[in-house]
Amino acid sequence: MTATVALLSPRKARARERTQRILRLVTAPVIVVLAVALLFWWLSTLQLDSIEQRTLNPTYIEARIKEHLLLTFVASLLVAVLAIPAGILAYRTRSRWVRSFFLALGNIGQATPAVGVVILLAIVWQTGFATALVALVAYSFLPVLRNTMVGLEQVGDDVKEAARGMGMTPNQVLRRIELPLASPTILAGLRTALVFAVGTATVATFINAGGLGDMIVNGLKLQRYPVLFTGAVLVAAIAVLIDWLAGVVEDLVRPKGL
Amino acid sequence: MDTSFKWSRFINFLAQRWDEVLELAAQHLAVVAISLAFALVIGILIGALVWNRPIGRATALSAAGIAITIPSLAVLALLSPLLGLGWGPSIVALAFYALLPIIRNTVVGLREVPSQIVESARGMGIGRTRILVTTQLPIAWPVIMAGVRVSAQMTVGIAAIAAYVAGPGLGQYIFTGLSSMGSFNAVNYALTGTVATIILALLIDAAFILVARATTSKGLRA
Amino acid sequence: MSDTTHTNTGFFRAISAQSAGVALELDHVTKQYPGQPAPAVEDFSMSIRPGELVMFVGPSGCGKTTTMKMVNRLIEPTSGSIRIDGKDVLSLDPNELRRHVGYVIQQIGLFPHRTIAENIATVPKMLGWKKDRIADRVDELLRTVQLDPSIFANRYPRQLSGGQQQRAGVARALAADPPVMLMDEPFGATDPITRERLQAEFLRLQAEIGKTIIFVTHDFDEAIRMGDRIAVLSERSHIEQFDTPARILASPANDYVTSFIGQGAAIKRLALMPISDAALGPAVSGGPRIPVTGSLRDALDLIVLSGAERITVTDPDGKAMGSIDHAAISHVLGTSAPASASGPESAVAP
Repeated sequence: MTATVALLSPRKARARERTQRILRLVTAPVIVVLAVALLFWWLSTLQLDSIEQRTLNPTYIEARIKEHLLLTFVASLLVAVLAIPAGILAYRTRSRWVRSFFLALGNIGQATPAVGVVILLAIVWQTGFATALVALVAYSFLPVLRNTMVGLEQVGDDVKEAARGMGMTPNQVLRRIELPLASPTILAGLRTALVFAVGTATVATFINAGGLGDMIVNGLKLQRYPVLFTGAVLVAAIAVLIDWLAGVVEDLVRPKGL
Repeated sequence: MDTSFKWSRFINFLAQRWDEVLELAAQHLAVVAISLAFALVIGILIGALVWNRPIGRATALSAAGIAITIPSLAVLALLSPLLGLGWGPSIVALAFYALLPIIRNTVVGLREVPSQIVESARGMGIGRTRILVTTQLPIAWPVIMAGVRVSAQMTVGIAAIAAYVAGPGLGQYIFTGLSSMGSFNAVNYALTGTVATIILALLIDAAFILVARATTSKGLRA
Repeated sequence: MSDTTHTNTGFFRAISAQSAGVALELDHVTKQYPGQPAPAVEDFSMSIRPGELVMFVGPSGCGKTTTMKMVNRLIEPTSGSIRIDGKDVLSLDPNELRRHVGYVIQQIGLFPHRTIAENIATVPKMLGWKKDRIADRVDELLRTVQLDPSIFANRYPRQLSGGQQQRAGVARALAADPPVMLMDEPFGATDPITRERLQAEFLRLQAEIGKTIIFVTHDFDEAIRMGDRIAVLSERSHIEQFDTPARILASPANDYVTSFIGQGAAIKRLALMPISDAALGPAVSGGPRIPVTGSLRDALDLIVLSGAERITVTDPDGKAMGSIDHAAISHVLGTSAPASASGPESAVAP
């Protein structure tokens, strides 16, 4: 197809494919490790003033990371537990109205700025971790639901018909055929939700939910760039790592033969 | 002070500030448009360079893929010491994020152009660059436009966060709501900012559907 | 009344024990979709003998697939009854029913995320067969459809060609050895060469196992080639003629059936008749020779090709038995119009 690809012997082609796959697997974590190493090396060359010392110490950083990860994972878990079954129900429903309704709702959801939802909820209700969690779950709910619906719908009609024709009950078809075949799409949706959660957990700093966003915001406010850089690089590192991890899981869970 | 939400106060609020809201919306639109324009040019360029080079393609796509997972607040904050506050860091950050969908869709779109079309063009003696510009890109255009559409939605959302570094647009209302939390207009500011952003995003999306259709050759329209 | 579950289980057990075909009866079956002006299938009655391969031929939209799908209740009849081996299918659990009816569709529907072996093992597993039995059965079936188990058992569908996938699909439908099979244009999505091979293989299979089969096709030549009896259907699955291929070719019931036959009806008939049907003349020396096991069409073919007046017919040992000319062939056609051609209304076996 592409004229610039030289023709390789099958063995060489397979070796090249393997190297490519390994590279793809290893790139992200390597970059992360390098970036974080670079950051800490740079920090070690600096003379930190008292303000910076209060922030740039292991205890503080660890606490912020923990808050950030807690928010990210709890939110993602809740979304998975709520949105995937909802997606299955929406898919199963006979009414086209329900399906179109959720798809349309998804469009509006996608157009909504996350920071707006977070801040609005905080104003109307209260600031803090719980609010951030609710905002995050509410926001990620629709994309995961939609991916679940779409993933199930794109399972070939012929496969579904053959399964029913063989005498599988609808639940058996769902468990053995539809869900496994839809799993790549559903997992992709969850992966996006996870990455998204990391990003929005960063913004959660504005409503006192903690997390690495605190370092970024404080660093910017007080013009202490080491703090700012550390917060930014660390949160970026976490985001990239989580995305990478989700990708690895996605590859592992994907049914063979797809 | 009663800070609960009341429709009457909200309507009042809007009536008093509708011109400001429109101006912020215009700013929001402008910053999105400018960033998208940059991303479009750079993105198509990169996509056109790497689409048929496996190594370059893998590098570009994975780099962009990694970049897009980085929380936008981090990028905005990192750019601030360099570019200050306001339009500068906002445009750079927005263009940065808008690049991935455009590069990815350019690559996919170009790869989906049937190879026999390129072959017959070369058989006619047309040069590679010319084929790219006059044949491949136009055929790949619907796919590329789909990528721009996705980028646009994303950019509108990130622009709202950019208000934190004094970026232009409706995000300013959202952050005003935040900073005035406890006052009775806080919710109105935040609500207006959020809802206006949603409306703007939907309108832009609708506009893109029209633009995509208008710029796609009749022979290609599904 | 009697405990129906008990009876049903008994029915399925009896069915499972028997792999050769059972009788299939459709009795005034109708399917009316709500909101549609006319039924999709109207008053369809047919009696299919055990081990018979019945072809449903008709244009798109005539309801042939709908009728077939009512047998395994993928579509529920609005009225009428369908009986397998005397048992009314409406009284059975539909999922259980389908596990005992083989079902093959045009797009095959192999499960892409399972190996070929796992695909074939699907229904046996659902029926609770033991692992060894399943493994043996998978091996046996793959060999039967001429796919080497050592190569194909652990491959995934996307690694097989179209024709191979089709064969795997047939093997899967045969896995639990159902006495009844429903096949909806199973070879439709292949190229003509592969299709012919698949048809030949399937006929060979059917000759060995003799299941009761409803085979839907829009290809009349396929119907002639494969069917024991053919049902030519028009809209609402109305049966225009239900008879053996030979009789339909010889005496089409009406213009509609004739239009299906198309050109060359006489020659198509000849393909179904052995040379031994003709009165052989005295042997001639020299000239082209044809074995008596061939069809009259083969004989005519050779006559036309060689330009000879008469060609020699040989017995299985190669010795000349007599000769045949085109007059003798035409004579066979002229006298072989069947005395009792079935009309459109009598679709029930005598």
